[in-house]
Amino acid sequence: MALLARRFANALVIGVAGRLDQDNCEAFRVDLMAHVERSAHDGGAVVLDLSGLEYVSSAGLRCFMLASRQAKAQHGRISVACLQPMVAEIFEISHFNMVFQVFGTVREALAAASNEAAAAFDQA
Amino acid sequence: MTIDEKALSTHGQWPWPRDRMADLVARLAAARPLVIGVDIFFPEPDRFSPAVLAERIEGRAPGIAASLRGMPSNDALFGKALALVPSVLGVAGLASTDPRFAGPPRSPPVRFLDGAGEAIRAYPGHLRNVPEIDAGAAGHGLYSIDLEGGVARRLQMLGRFDQAVVPTLAVEMIRIALAAPLTVAPSAGGTIELRFGDYAVPAQPDGRAYVRYGRSDPGRFVSAASVLDGSFDVSQLEGKLVLVGFTGLGLADLVATPLGETVFGVENHAQAAEAILEGQFLRRIALAPRIEAALLIAFGLGLFVFIPRSNAVRSAAVLVAGIVALLGAGALAFAQAGLLFDPAGPALGAMAVFGVMQAGSLAEAQRQRQQLREQAARMAGELDAAKRIQMGLLPDPAEVFAGEGRVDVAALLEPARTVGGDFYDCFLLDGRRLFFVVADVSGKGLPASLFMASVKSILKSAALTVEGSVGGILARAQDEIRRENPESLFVTALAGVLDLETGELEYANAGHEPAWSHVPQGRPERLDASGGPPLCVLDVYSYPSTRRTLQRGEWLLALSDGATEAMNERKEFFGTERLRTSLGWLGDEADAKVIVNRVRDDVRRFSGAAEAADDLTLLAIRWNGPAAEL
Repeated sequence: MALLARRFANALVIGVAGRLDQDNCEAFRVDLMAHVERSAHDGGAVVLDLSGLEYVSSAGLRCFMLASRQAKAQHGRISVACLQPMVAEIFEISHFNMVFQVFGTVREALAAASNEAAAAFDQA
Repeated sequence: MTIDEKALSTHGQWPWPRDRMADLVARLAAARPLVIGVDIFFPEPDRFSPAVLAERIEGRAPGIAASLRGMPSNDALFGKALALVPSVLGVAGLASTDPRFAGPPRSPPVRFLDGAGEAIRAYPGHLRNVPEIDAGAAGHGLYSIDLEGGVARRLQMLGRFDQAVVPTLAVEMIRIALAAPLTVAPSAGGTIELRFGDYAVPAQPDGRAYVRYGRSDPGRFVSAASVLDGSFDVSQLEGKLVLVGFTGLGLADLVATPLGETVFGVENHAQAAEAILEGQFLRRIALAPRIEAALLIAFGLGLFVFIPRSNAVRSAAVLVAGIVALLGAGALAFAQAGLLFDPAGPALGAMAVFGVMQAGSLAEAQRQRQQLREQAARMAGELDAAKRIQMGLLPDPAEVFAGEGRVDVAALLEPARTVGGDFYDCFLLDGRRLFFVVADVSGKGLPASLFMASVKSILKSAALTVEGSVGGILARAQDEIRRENPESLFVTALAGVLDLETGELEYANAGHEPAWSHVPQGRPERLDASGGPPLCVLDVYSYPSTRRTLQRGEWLLALSDGATEAMNERKEFFGTERLRTSLGWLGDEADAKVIVNRVRDDVRRFSGAAEAADDLTLLAIRWNGPAAEL
């Protein structure tokens, strides 16, 4: 599962696509943690763009949880945006929307992070 | 000049009287050839000589006998004819002494440089011609071809007879034509060289040489009959080397050459003479066997190193390429330098190495497969044991609630793998309160199952010790689990306490799939999904409790996401709506066992051949009412 990272001002938007389950979550976790660590180190926010994510299992949720913990530990911000219905339901049932701020669009998520990020998103 | 079928049919059967041979040689001699070589032996006196005839007619015609006796013998005539031109007669090496020829044959003086002749093959005995004929010869040539596997590959260039050293017929003919002395000198690569005039013939230390044979050429044969009847113009032979031999089939002096042809012995000598004149000799230098051995070792070692690091197909390709290269190099050395190498040895050796190595790696592969099988069996055995232990941790509701009329409980857990991360639990906290929980540990397999065992006991202990809300039980359990959770796993759980006397239900949800309820004459209803995140996701969280009062005959179904997220081969989920439909078909009278089996069957039927991705856990509870009203 390849992560597509785009930078908007000091915010990093990471596109997550496909199915995230037991079989591929470990590679995903390593990639995601590296992004989160770098971004938090720069004092920026991370937005996970889940528009391409079809399914996430409990193992996948654990990766999100670990990323959230790391961001918190480094005083960074992390949010998710653009959830497909299936993933939205999983987030709802598992109450992961208590772990992440959930936004309808990437722009909303960026706007919540910083004005510069939203401006950079608008310009792009 | 050959004594062929035509000559035999014209002049009678062999042996011819020697005076006819004398006539023949004299006719050849008239053409003044350079040298005549005779590839025929005359070891016994001619029985047609006048003296021999005289003996036979002595009694009958003494006068004729006396005059016959006064005539020269046929052998003497033949010897005289041979003396007309420089001629070479044969000496054949024998393995034992022939009493007729005791002393060594006549031989030319040979100079040996630096001990070059020491290893020349020595013959204990020999065969040559009767002295009268022999007297006419200017020299002697060795007639000895060692047949190797029936093929004349090497010609004995020099042979030693006691003190005498006799060169082969072709060498001696050319040497006499040149009137040059013969020198034997050491040569490159441990070989020797026969030098005479401007010619140098390479040979092996034992005197043998590889002749580069050409194709048979019938055009250079002249029948003895044509010479005797004058139809052949002998003047063509002037200044030539002339060989006299047999080609008559009945006399069968035949040898096979390495080119696969069967040629007459006399042509073999002719080809040897040509080879000498054209310098067409093949060398097999003394180092050749060592070079072949070195190639064998190098190739063998190469394969030895390469094969274990490569697959069989690539190894075979390397083997074939190596053998082709060896054969090519051998052919190139032969064509370009006249060097003889035998690539068959290294090639066969390499094939043997290849075979042995492949057999070895096959055996190794089989051993490893066997080991893997054993390991897999052991793992499977351990996993089966783990499964039995894990399943043993789960209570059997029929046993736990045996004789309990107020409630009917049934449960089911089918792990996706041998062991899983789901679990359920149900037990009475006291005489009337039933605690139940369905939980799912993140992850699957052995790690999840170990964590699950720990979580289950923590939850049970929290349920038994915490006085107060179900949410409080979950919060307490979370505190405990967090302390023993190095892998940061989390647990979704739906826990509840049902008062069996009042039907009051209190439940709390930690990120788990909501439960379903069904009231008599009602429709299945998904209970509200409020609650909190899974245990151990947030450090501190107060799980809210939800209350509901059950009707008599109402049933609940708690389940894991293995049901709703079960997938079919088209990657579709079973989903909430299919579950609702499935539950809708169950009547009011359905007992707990029927409910769990029904849902399980529907989920499995939906999944079809698709492998179950997650554990499936179902727990059904049907409240039948307080004890007093049963």
